[in-house]
Amino acid sequence: MNARRVPAGIVAAGLLMGALPFLKLPAFYESFLYLALFWIVLATSWNILSGYAGYFSFGHGAFFGAGVYTSATLAAKFNWPFLWTLPMAALVAAAIGVGVGAVVFRVRGVRGEVFALLTLAVTFVLATIVGNTPIDGGPGVYLNAVPVPKLGPSPTSSLYLMMLAAAVVTLLASWAIRHSRFGAGLFAIHDDEDAAEVMGVPTYRWKLAALAVSCALAGLAGGIHALFISYVTTAETFNLTVPLTVVLMSILGGTRHWAGPAIGAVAITCLLFAFTGGEYAVLGKGVIGLILVIGILFMPEGVMGKLRRKGIGSLSEGAARPHLHPHPNPLPQAGEGVRQPASEVLLRVNGLSKSFRGLKALSNVSLEVRKGEILGLLGPNGSGKSTFINVVSGHYLPNGGEVWLDGRNIAGLPAHEIARAGIARTYQIPRPFAQMSVLDNVAVAAMYAGRGLPSLDAGRREAMQWLEFTHLAGKAQSLPGELNLHQRKFLELARALASRPKLVLLDEVLCGLTPTEIQSAVEQIRRIRDQGTTIVFVEHVMDAVMALTDRLVVFDQGSMLAEGAPRDVMQSPAVMSAYLGVAHA
Amino acid sequence: MSFPSWTLLSQSVLSGVFAGALYGLLGLGLGLSWGLLRTINLAHFAFAFLSAYICYQLAAVSHVDPLLTLVGIVPLMFALGAGLHWLTDRFRLTPFSSLLLTFGCMGIVESLMQTLWTADPRKLESHYAEMKFRLGPLYLPIPEVLTLLLAVAITVAVWAVLRFTDLGKALRASAEDAPVAAAFGINQRRNGFLLAGTCSAIAGIAGVCLALSSSISPSQMYAWVGVVFAAVMLGGLGSALGPLVAGIVIGVSEAVTMAVTSPSWAPLVSFTLLILILLLRPGRIR
Amino acid sequence: MTRSTFQRRTVLAAAAASATLPLAAWAQQPPIRIGSTLALTGPLSATAQVHKLVGEIYVEDLNKRGGLLGRKVEWILKDDQSKADLARTLYEQLITSDKVDLLMGPYATGGILSAMGVAQRYNKVLVHHTLGVPSLAKYDMQFPAWSLGSDPGNTTTNTVFEALAKGPKPPKTVAVVTSKFPSIHFMSMGARETLKKRGLQEVLFLEWEFGNRDFGPIASRVKDAKPDFVWVGAIGLDGNLLLDAMKKIDYAPPQHFYLYPAPGPLVTLPEASGALSVTIFEEHPPFTSRPRAAEFIKTYRERAAKANFPDTSVEVQAAASFTAWQILEAAVTATKSLDDKVLADWLKKNRVETIQGSLRFDGPSNYGDDLMRIKQVQNGKWVVVYPPEFAPPGVKMTAR
Repeated sequence: MNARRVPAGIVAAGLLMGALPFLKLPAFYESFLYLALFWIVLATSWNILSGYAGYFSFGHGAFFGAGVYTSATLAAKFNWPFLWTLPMAALVAAAIGVGVGAVVFRVRGVRGEVFALLTLAVTFVLATIVGNTPIDGGPGVYLNAVPVPKLGPSPTSSLYLMMLAAAVVTLLASWAIRHSRFGAGLFAIHDDEDAAEVMGVPTYRWKLAALAVSCALAGLAGGIHALFISYVTTAETFNLTVPLTVVLMSILGGTRHWAGPAIGAVAITCLLFAFTGGEYAVLGKGVIGLILVIGILFMPEGVMGKLRRKGIGSLSEGAARPHLHPHPNPLPQAGEGVRQPASEVLLRVNGLSKSFRGLKALSNVSLEVRKGEILGLLGPNGSGKSTFINVVSGHYLPNGGEVWLDGRNIAGLPAHEIARAGIARTYQIPRPFAQMSVLDNVAVAAMYAGRGLPSLDAGRREAMQWLEFTHLAGKAQSLPGELNLHQRKFLELARALASRPKLVLLDEVLCGLTPTEIQSAVEQIRRIRDQGTTIVFVEHVMDAVMALTDRLVVFDQGSMLAEGAPRDVMQSPAVMSAYLGVAHA
Repeated sequence: MSFPSWTLLSQSVLSGVFAGALYGLLGLGLGLSWGLLRTINLAHFAFAFLSAYICYQLAAVSHVDPLLTLVGIVPLMFALGAGLHWLTDRFRLTPFSSLLLTFGCMGIVESLMQTLWTADPRKLESHYAEMKFRLGPLYLPIPEVLTLLLAVAITVAVWAVLRFTDLGKALRASAEDAPVAAAFGINQRRNGFLLAGTCSAIAGIAGVCLALSSSISPSQMYAWVGVVFAAVMLGGLGSALGPLVAGIVIGVSEAVTMAVTSPSWAPLVSFTLLILILLLRPGRIR
Repeated sequence: MTRSTFQRRTVLAAAAASATLPLAAWAQQPPIRIGSTLALTGPLSATAQVHKLVGEIYVEDLNKRGGLLGRKVEWILKDDQSKADLARTLYEQLITSDKVDLLMGPYATGGILSAMGVAQRYNKVLVHHTLGVPSLAKYDMQFPAWSLGSDPGNTTTNTVFEALAKGPKPPKTVAVVTSKFPSIHFMSMGARETLKKRGLQEVLFLEWEFGNRDFGPIASRVKDAKPDFVWVGAIGLDGNLLLDAMKKIDYAPPQHFYLYPAPGPLVTLPEASGALSVTIFEEHPPFTSRPRAAEFIKTYRERAAKANFPDTSVEVQAAASFTAWQILEAAVTATKSLDDKVLADWLKKNRVETIQGSLRFDGPSNYGDDLMRIKQVQNGKWVVVYPPEFAPPGVKMTAR
């Protein structure tokens, strides 16, 4: 499909453009194209962290500058052959990025503008260090004595070819990430990091990886650029122009598309260059501003966003319905499957506690969930049912107690590891990834939770099955915002099931549905249990509870009140008074 | 590095407070529109500098008292701000699209300023520059004191409006959840224009303070973006007190560094401090 | 028709023909194209606009005088937006695509070094007017119009301290406060060396980042150090901001020096009275008696006023720019050639008479003599005070 064509296309374009220096055109074309390629590398690399994962960085200049000074220092002061300085430039930039990220990403609450500010601060810190130490110290570093590697017929050609190679690598990386499991994880982080974590995406590692790639490419571009301008100073290198410009280019081109930033880069470079005539230079600056203003008014989602709305971009998204070849693990149909005797214990909870600043949401809860059963979890509002689900799934850390799954205590583990261990949950108020298609929402779960599928294609295939199971196949390409409540609940269900978990925690999945819809949901839940999935079912709709559950547990004020067969529990006086209050005879 | 005298240290702290007050005043409107209107308004700097130039023109050339120029500048900036808001509102721009739009506006205004006043830096030499207070061994120059007073007054006023008035509550509600707020009958359009106009008017006042205490040139706008963004983001988007407090923290930390060691290390200290504050307490200053 | 009428008509026709011949020749020959960039927009545009004006004035005047080698001169000017990488690309465009005949340098060190690299690759002569760091000028065919000499960190700073030593109040203690801007920084380092060699005592040394806004603490530290003389490594308005900050704490340095200030704003500041600086040209004799200086000053003032420049006087920047064009014109006229090698060879062996003085290019990095003089703000005007032969009659250095 399109899958192979795009990277081949990028490489082919690269080879074609690589022939330019040998066409004996005026060297100026190579210089100009160099500038466009330079910005393509910077903008696209920025987008990998900031556009894909949503961690808006104002500090791209820091990593670019790290690359500039690494190459400049190694080449001019230590006489390294220039080509060897480039991998070092990428490495140093990535190391600084990962070093910053390792600390910063650990702190909860560093999102949005806080991250932007942190990265901005890193730029100033780095600039000051470079400017006040022998790395630069003030006079700048002059690279005129550094021999330009002979890659092309002239020094300009060589620099052009180097930046061309960097651009090809960057675009390939951008495309590959966009269409990979890694990229889907980044987009999930972009939309809802907490939900992504609970769904099995290792958010900390993924963010670091995206940051590392982004910084390495920026450092590479910086290294090459040091030789291009041949005289580097801290004021020029670390000023805010670089981070601001890459942001603008990416926004103009479209941040969700792998080629968006590149398009923005080319557009703005051409725009700036168009106004270099001496006569109207000052006016030209105003005209550029005006063009940007008009551009964004008519293309608020960037160029690629606008094209995608017209259905053009979606082709390269590889989003057509996957082939319907026989799936290696088909789902059992209704009525199939044998009900296991519910005796073996799947999940054992011992003394689980959770407090929120003094309010004891869960106190010392102990219960067992047996394999293959549907365990109902009831209780008045505020009794701790949702907290229980949140703690077991890893959304919250417990204050005490253990949770044993398959012989392993999973209490306190990061949520994504709990997801990988085979526990899935739905949210009472659906939390889909708002900017990903319904299909991709489910595919993320399929790829990351449970054992996890290794590729985006495999994830989508699996996801399609589950969409058919929950009757959402027709909406595969829609955005969650276009679904009604019932459909969104089923999307939650499909997401929870897509990883074929051992245990599914359903949090009030029937709330808000009409009686007909409830019927169909109950059917689904039965089917799910029939294929061997254990279910913990939090619900208020009593008919469904009585019809579905094998056992019931009742919570009240954070502790377990009763436990046993449904009829027995519902008739116990303690439970009745918890729900209805003390009877006034 | 000998330890500086108390006078030197106190004077430097004072200097930092004054610098920070200007950062805070410049940042107040930016932070409010970012937090409450979801617009990252880079044109804010353009409005500030345009006001500075108008003040310069009226004061240096037509000999109007610089403070009197506020009479004309405030309404003008209010109108410009409301007009810009109309654009972002009508076209439903996301925060990042508004960043691009306002950057374009910055370029247009820069071109205008360079055409009218050339690229040469201008410095307004007003009689205010001569005046100063003395507090023991310490000097408090009037333009800076004015800036500080204005910054504090406007900040407190904005804070009070946001906290205690219905308008303020409406603005905060709309920022948290616009559809629900609208369902409660809040006139978001009207409030939006009011707020946007006010933010730009504050930028205008900041511009006059800038003209009184510093030199201005068209391309210098960009030099302030970094430190003012830092103050805004550190203080918290949509916060009234935040930018001023954060600005003063940044200003004082830089000034003290300049007093104690080589001034060229100042950005390192202020921004490292910033990083530490953010990491140890990422919550906002409310 | 009589024969005399015929003769007269022929003569008239011949006369008419020969009168139009130069014009026809002018029209038929392609113009000589000189290409360069300037920072017409961006942070460096304030000074670059001076160079644009000077270039325009010079080229117009040149064409009025008959152009170069009998051909019209056309100046192709592009805007490098204060960016060195764009300057490099544009120079490559000028040479390889627009195919200009000659080059003129851009504004400021960063741009000039970029352009120099390009000129070097295509073996073109580069005459430049604002390179602040002579030690970086490593290309054989570059020629500086700003006569710093090859070692200004040594020679120029020496001139400054010599002037002070021979002035009314030779200082004993010095405070050196400087921007870290590359072309300023090394000069300030040179000043530190020089003052030590002359047995003066350095009581304070401070550096600030280029773009520093708050000069309060720096002013306080200078006041605390109580120096006899303050060397301020200032560029642009740093000097004004520092003086302002000093005034706010009631401090006026006894003697003060500013390296590359924006001249207009400094001269109008009352507390700048007595400030020293360096220059290669000022609007008074003996400079004004150099050939073409007087008329250049007049034209420049008119045009600058029309262009709304706040400062319309000719000083270092404008003079250096004018000199650069003079160098180019001299070389081309003398060798009657546009061949860069020929021009370069001639320049290295010959002197060029300019409004700065008589320049030579046979020193290290093609630099000649250090022609920097010391000027001072007196009664709201800049006047040269040292060496005495360059000062207007009766003018001497003053001190508080």
